[in-house]
Amino acid sequence: MIEKLRSYGIVGVFGLLFVVLAISSPSFLSWQNAANILDQSSILFIMATVLTLCIIAGIFDLSVAATATASAIMTVNAINAFGMVIGIIVGLGFGGVLGLLNGLGIVGTNVNSFIGTLATSFAFRGLGLILCSGGLVSITNKDTAVAMRSAFEGKFLGIKGAVYIALIFSAIVGIFLSRTIWGRNVYAVGGNPQAAYLAGIRTNRILISCYVLSGIGAGIAGVIYVGRYGSGATNAYSDTIAFTAIAAPVVGGVSVFGGSGAIWRGILGILTFALIGNGLNLLGVDTTYQLTALGLLIFAAVAADQVFRRSRG
Amino acid sequence: MNSSTALVRIHELTKTFGATRAVRSVSLSFTEGEIIGLVGENGAGKSTLAKMIAGVYTADSGRIEFAGSEVSFRSPFEALRTGVAMMAQEIMLVPDATVIENVFLGSTPRRGIAPNKSKMRSDFKELLELTKFELDPKAVVSRLRLADQQKVEILRSLSRNAKLIIMDEPSASLTADEVARLHATIRELARRGVTILLISHFLEEVLELTTTTIVMRDGEVVKAGPTKDETIDSLVSGMVGRSLETRYFDNDSAATQQVRFSVDGLTNSALHDISFEIHQGEILGLAGLIGAGRTEIARAIFGADALDSGTVTLEGKKLSVTSPRDAIKQGIYMIPENRKEEGLILEASISENMMLSTLKRYRKAGSLSTRKLGKRAVELAGEVDLRYSKITQSALSLSGGNQQKILFGRAVEVAPKVLIVDEPTRGVDIAAKRAIHETLLDLAKSGMSILFISSEIEEVLGVCDRVLVIHQGKVQVQFTAPFNQKQVVAAFFGQTSGAKHD
Repeated sequence: MIEKLRSYGIVGVFGLLFVVLAISSPSFLSWQNAANILDQSSILFIMATVLTLCIIAGIFDLSVAATATASAIMTVNAINAFGMVIGIIVGLGFGGVLGLLNGLGIVGTNVNSFIGTLATSFAFRGLGLILCSGGLVSITNKDTAVAMRSAFEGKFLGIKGAVYIALIFSAIVGIFLSRTIWGRNVYAVGGNPQAAYLAGIRTNRILISCYVLSGIGAGIAGVIYVGRYGSGATNAYSDTIAFTAIAAPVVGGVSVFGGSGAIWRGILGILTFALIGNGLNLLGVDTTYQLTALGLLIFAAVAADQVFRRSRG
Repeated sequence: MNSSTALVRIHELTKTFGATRAVRSVSLSFTEGEIIGLVGENGAGKSTLAKMIAGVYTADSGRIEFAGSEVSFRSPFEALRTGVAMMAQEIMLVPDATVIENVFLGSTPRRGIAPNKSKMRSDFKELLELTKFELDPKAVVSRLRLADQQKVEILRSLSRNAKLIIMDEPSASLTADEVARLHATIRELARRGVTILLISHFLEEVLELTTTTIVMRDGEVVKAGPTKDETIDSLVSGMVGRSLETRYFDNDSAATQQVRFSVDGLTNSALHDISFEIHQGEILGLAGLIGAGRTEIARAIFGADALDSGTVTLEGKKLSVTSPRDAIKQGIYMIPENRKEEGLILEASISENMMLSTLKRYRKAGSLSTRKLGKRAVELAGEVDLRYSKITQSALSLSGGNQQKILFGRAVEVAPKVLIVDEPTRGVDIAAKRAIHETLLDLAKSGMSILFISSEIEEVLGVCDRVLVIHQGKVQVQFTAPFNQKQVVAAFFGQTSGAKHD
């Protein structure tokens, strides 16, 4: 019973929120509003996806926002040097490399991932600062900037390209996680690393692969930023985004203890946050209350997880 | 047992979890200074009953009287304040705190807002005199042996003037000499009027130690009476509802003359120059005290612990094993000592747990074929006599014995040449134990070489073809079936006179 509540309670909350908003605000159900919600959430979809993956694997990656920021700056530099296509690839690869550094450093030394990535998030932000020697770098070629913008901000069926990219990325990670051997091994390592190791799973590789994927996800976020603004800046993504992305899977019903959950739960968490923000905006509720509601929701989700743990004895 | 001396009277206690009636209308009474043994298979309701008495669970219905007045504990704290203490299966101490801090935890004598250290010291000394324990009050609990940690729990109970102490499997993790000391303590406590309720899987212990024995089955008390009227057989038949062969002394050996596997000179911080060989189809037992180095031998062979020197040879080929993955690839598998911590992914399904080492075999077009996985798991479940309702149910939802069978299923699936099995029957009920023994014998018959570690001597002698006694990280002596139990046990303590050295 408690397990069901923990698993599907959030689906109910989301549904209820949706229905209440649909009834009380006529503009909520419009296509325009839905597209808005998705547009605003695209970056968070990506970050929540990689953090859901990390939490399932039993780790945290607090450095996603810093990695995305550094990747954005790297992308601009690379576009300026090599053109758009290579620039994007370098930007993504840079995110992956930072993820690999996270993985090698943290798994190799057995440092707590929370603290380890907190440390690297400072370092990666510093790296971003070095790479742009100041606060901001912009794409110098106007045509390239326009092309980037149309690729990521251009609309197809009323929805921006970035949203499609985010959802495709989430879907791929989700499918890999649930369908491949790598994915099942991620669950095993998150559920019981000791047992997984003794069963012959290369637990270190699994964990490192999660950090790398997390970095690549952050790299995508960085590239999208460049597409949107034609520039990269040291304040591109704040760490609040990383915290929101950690809270999302938990609200979506992923256990913070690792070993269980699914990517869609992270997405559902982000959508719930978006509904709260968007809906309360439409209803004219003060932002202060929105934050409070969000905080209470996150707390309730963690508490439910804990209660479930206890109830199973 | 008349009402004037009854310390605890229980009237028709009932507790239901979901659809399971864990305890059904149980009525009992305990006298002051009595040692009561509570036995039954896993899931019979022993722990649930004990936890209701100790205030951990609240009964659905029924009454508990303590020292003549009705009580209704809402927490272990309330029970402790009234005089009921429970030592759970898992030790409940603060590992980084000292012995004396743990003893007075939650009831620290104070002087203002500061702890009254001199009063703590004098109270502690009194407790030691009472119990004849030898414990350094300043020792950090995590560094103590398990038996000493239990003593800390006992002292804590006594410091609250507990009149009833409930012990759930206190000797399960103790070595033989520690058990002896625990028994002496229990007797001394009883002599001083403390009532002891002892839950135990060790029937010899119950027969030897207790004055009254209660047998539970399916949540009900099937009998309660003087221990002197009971035998192992009568207890076991009460527990299982029918007379059941508990031991295997007539093991048909499947061992061949062909040496399949050998280790030579294994040495690391826990081991000293360990050498032995296992034949094809042979079950070699590693016996000895807890901490003697048996698990360390297993882990070193399996690549889970590093070796300083020594060689491992399988079918004439020297192996280089640096990780469990290496070992598995080269034909060695280990079922680890601790099924929950080291063996299973508790949240994962039966089928995934069984295939944890071999998921690659179920790849279909790049992704995992859950249908094939499930089908194979059902086959394996049949082979190891797993009792389950759905192959996709989580390992968490199974009893200890069935969880262990999942690990055997995995071993069958991996099909190693050498299988190491570490304490597979710890905490499992008699029926599951029997099934596990049969699986072991079947695997040996199929030609597997098995290294079997167990702290239960009857089991080792009943199942194995040969037994090595490990003592302080060394091979003390080797015995070949038929065994003389006394000689083997003597070797546990380093006594090898009269034993044959081969």
